[in-house]
Amino acid sequence: MKFFSQSYSYNDPWSIVTLAFFMRYPNPYASHVLSCDVVSRSVTPSGSLMTTRLILKRGAIPRWFPKGIVSRAETWVVEETEVDPLGQTVRCKTRNLDHVKVMQVEETVLFHAVPEGKTLQVTEARIRSGFGWGLTRRIETHGLNKFKANLQRSREGVSLVLELLRQSRLRPMTLGAPEDPLVSLALPAQPVVEHKTDADTEPQAAIPRPQNSWSRLKAWLRPPPRAD
Amino acid sequence: MADSLSPECTPLKHEYDSCFNVWFEEYLEPALATNATKEQRTAHYQRKAEEFQTKCGKVYAEYQNCIQNAVKQRGIEPLLQQAREEHPLREPLPPAQPPTKDSK
Repeated sequence: MKFFSQSYSYNDPWSIVTLAFFMRYPNPYASHVLSCDVVSRSVTPSGSLMTTRLILKRGAIPRWFPKGIVSRAETWVVEETEVDPLGQTVRCKTRNLDHVKVMQVEETVLFHAVPEGKTLQVTEARIRSGFGWGLTRRIETHGLNKFKANLQRSREGVSLVLELLRQSRLRPMTLGAPEDPLVSLALPAQPVVEHKTDADTEPQAAIPRPQNSWSRLKAWLRPPPRAD
Repeated sequence: MADSLSPECTPLKHEYDSCFNVWFEEYLEPALATNATKEQRTAHYQRKAEEFQTKCGKVYAEYQNCIQNAVKQRGIEPLLQQAREEHPLREPLPPAQPPTKDSK
């Protein structure tokens, strides 16, 4: 069994980090996440929000791994989260549901508010293989290395979503998405026309098209609502 | 918003996510003093839970109906059930709320 633990501090308040953590899929750093579903959600009498999500992730089988044992490099992952808004804590446990004999990865993430409006993230992982055939240790080491590399990417993903949320709160007018539920609580929506010339102006489309990477990221995060 | 494991549930999922995110943002910043009594806390979160039910309950029920079927069809249900029994969080997870067709 391999154990890994790491702490990381976000310079943002707990509530927005938590929001970003919940909204982290999809993001460009998580293209391996194929689907993510809420399979259970409720508020406990003490006020905590309990969520179970079922996530399908695409993996990669290392070249040295025996052929024909793992038929598909996809894994179902279950993620159980408890959000305690008064204690300002999030506890999140994740583990894979299949291929558990080959490798079981259990991850625990804790977010809690720390002084000066910052948020501390503590990540722990236990990586265990029951594979045998002289490969157990190699599999566990490989799993650990992958976990470390992915943790970095995962944090970059959360940070990106965090940045989008931050900007959407600060500058709601520039987003060009009047239907955005997060933006709508700040200001009444108005179309922003930036490069208007009196000469030949093409008729503006009613819905602003994504024009830069920023808009594209935002569209990933919150696609426009369906037309009914 | 990420897609659902079942393409037919994705539109419902996105609709539900949009509703949830708005509710969740408010939920995370409770207008409640840290020294509020246990009764006040209970009442506050009771209200939040009811508010969620009123605003997002209908689409949540529809989405759950869709996704639970998809999970069954794909044979993931036993794995999921086992995982949740073996590794519960501190507070035991209450059973999923059955879809209430008549709730608005």
